[in-house]
Amino acid sequence: MARKFRVLASVLALSVSLSALAACSSKGGDASSSPSGTASPSAGASEAKDTITALLPPVSANYQNNFEQMAKDFNALYPNLTLKIEPASWEDMTQKLDTQVNAGSPPDIAFIGSDGISKYVQQGMLMDITDVATPDMINDFDKAPLEYMKKGDGLYGFPAYMEIHALGGNKQFLEEAGIDWKNVQKNGWTYEEFREAIKKGVVKEGDKTKRYGFVFANAGVTSKDYLNILIKNAGMPSAFTQDLKYAYTSKNYLEVLKAVRQLIDDGSMPKELSSVDAGKRWNMFLTGQTMITGKGLATFENSANKNNEKLKANDGSAVEGSIPVEYIVLPVPSFLGQPPVSSPAVDGYVTFRGKKEPTPEHKANVVKAAYFLASGKVAATTNNELFVAHITKSGREAAKSMTVNRNPDNVAAVEVLLSHAAPARPDIPVELGAKAIKLEDEVIIPKFQALLANEITPEDMYEAVKNAAIKEFGQDGVVQD
Amino acid sequence: MARLSKGIKKRKIHEDGAWAYAFIAVALVVYAMFTAYPVVSAFLISFEEYKPLGSTFVGFENYANTFGDALFWKAIRNTIVYTALTVPVALVISFAVAILILPFKKWLQTAFKAVYYLPAVASGVALSVVWLWIFDPLPSGILNRMIGLFGIENQNWLGSSATSMFSLVLMSWLSSHGTSIIIYLAALLGIDNSYYEAAELDGASFLQKLWHIVIPFLKPTTLFLLVTGVIGSFQVFQNAYLMTGGGPDNATTMVGLLIFNNAFKYFEFGEAAAQSLILALIIAVISYFQFKFLGNDVEY
Repeated sequence: MARKFRVLASVLALSVSLSALAACSSKGGDASSSPSGTASPSAGASEAKDTITALLPPVSANYQNNFEQMAKDFNALYPNLTLKIEPASWEDMTQKLDTQVNAGSPPDIAFIGSDGISKYVQQGMLMDITDVATPDMINDFDKAPLEYMKKGDGLYGFPAYMEIHALGGNKQFLEEAGIDWKNVQKNGWTYEEFREAIKKGVVKEGDKTKRYGFVFANAGVTSKDYLNILIKNAGMPSAFTQDLKYAYTSKNYLEVLKAVRQLIDDGSMPKELSSVDAGKRWNMFLTGQTMITGKGLATFENSANKNNEKLKANDGSAVEGSIPVEYIVLPVPSFLGQPPVSSPAVDGYVTFRGKKEPTPEHKANVVKAAYFLASGKVAATTNNELFVAHITKSGREAAKSMTVNRNPDNVAAVEVLLSHAAPARPDIPVELGAKAIKLEDEVIIPKFQALLANEITPEDMYEAVKNAAIKEFGQDGVVQD
Repeated sequence: MARLSKGIKKRKIHEDGAWAYAFIAVALVVYAMFTAYPVVSAFLISFEEYKPLGSTFVGFENYANTFGDALFWKAIRNTIVYTALTVPVALVISFAVAILILPFKKWLQTAFKAVYYLPAVASGVALSVVWLWIFDPLPSGILNRMIGLFGIENQNWLGSSATSMFSLVLMSWLSSHGTSIIIYLAALLGIDNSYYEAAELDGASFLQKLWHIVIPFLKPTTLFLLVTGVIGSFQVFQNAYLMTGGGPDNATTMVGLLIFNNAFKYFEFGEAAAQSLILALIIAVISYFQFKFLGNDVEY
């Protein structure tokens, strides 16, 4: 018995040592087992078998349920290719991907926001598909969203959709407050008009506010969405001007900060705004505690409609205390006479490479898979479910046979918003972009949260941002107006 | 002579238990691979600009950047404040609960130990969701309703610099004392009954027994919990990450969160490694002084 135990212990020690060593020997791993399929000798011919890996989150409610069918359809289209999809939750997505990227073995394709592209380009882990994507593929996409997948001269994947970060209103409350929302959808509104409108939306019971005019999610990093959609409409569509000067040192920036405080001080927004998260403000919207909410995504109309149906059917899973809501898409107000610029969020299928240079054949296969996911039936199904506009000709074609229950006024409003969406800025060097992101995370967001909590003045925040920007980009690297 | 010494050596290894080395090897290999290797790796990376496709040596640049970064020092200050507010109170709470549990029968002690240990088993994320609900900033929030009973205006618990650190401290005070309670209870059960009996014969009160018997006997346990508590508290990350994200105005940015952000948000692994090693050094210095000043008369 003792002898057996000793042998068992030795085997265990040996196996632990070997497995640990094996775990550390990825650098010398077999090229054919690389997720990028790098240097696979069998990939020499275009008809050679190949596997493409994709890390995909639940883009829409039923998206992950369709993975099996998507893989089958892809294989039917390209019998020599296998699309291996690894599902991930939204919460895990970044962590999973970052771990794989930093280990030098990312998936071939991952679904991420286009704003994440520069981070991975800087790491050298994205695959430029400019020379592999065919003209047919490129021409299938609308130009504006495709530009978001570029950095410098490189194209790093295909966009899935271009979603506008707008505001959402409760039709009944808007009309009760005398707001001509149809006109606002068509012609937009100025900050002053917006300020008066949301004042009218406030309902009080004694000292307590029963309903706010406007509630935007601002807890933690979500506050950057709020600030970003406002400053885009104040003559700063990007963090950098066309001559690559940091824009948020402009005087207009200070005016936006003053407006942010003003809306809270008016009582139109809650003073606890800095702690209101996305779930809370949506709950407030559905339960009639706010007239307008933000950020408003197209899919919210779908969510509101579903909740309305549950209320009608006396379904217990309807949001507790909710009321029937007709969701109205509204634009963000513009400031200081500047033209309206809506904030697009372009997400898509980004193409990665491993530590070793991928073979041309594998690269071509990855592009086929990315295009398959971003266009045609897959894109049409997903985008319809999300209520977002189609951005490919093939997607529009495939969507013709699908029915979507959308408010036509909202569809038209989104079209208007898309027409003046902020253009992509692939010309901003990745190093400069990375510095701006760090400045945003370490100075702008913390100071903005303090501003929302009424702990600093707009002037204090403006000075802090300006000083940090000058330190980072130099006197000549920032806008001085 | 040589043959003789060889024979002795061979026998010696056998006698000392060559197999024991195989057993030790398991722990040693695990330690080497999952502790020593990452530490050495972090040390090397701290002198590099890390990139998956090839890093570049940058000398002491990452250390210089860290020492010149105001946010790093703010994070250190926040971490010290958090540690100073949480660790001593946690020890007092654990000690008090252990003392309260001690007189119970064994099955009841076990039940209480299980109940107090439960938060350690539960997911930190799930607990944070509950706490976010408690700290709801609107007047309808649980904590705001409670303070409302005393006529206090509702507070923006996590969104204001005045209350955000306190909120994280409160969260720490009211959760996760299970391990300390179990360790204290084990130590309390290890005190021989004869000491209590002698004290009772001398007419000692409860507080006198506590002061003259229990606390001196528990000093090694208290020192252990203090040192491990301070180390754990200096590495705090999850609560700040999930509850406040370090805000507002970096009022709750702890060193652990800063290191995480540098590594996994900005991919600045070199700077993150340098900050980790500086943090390790700070913890080592504090632990040294804890042992030096509090461990002098501790007998194990």
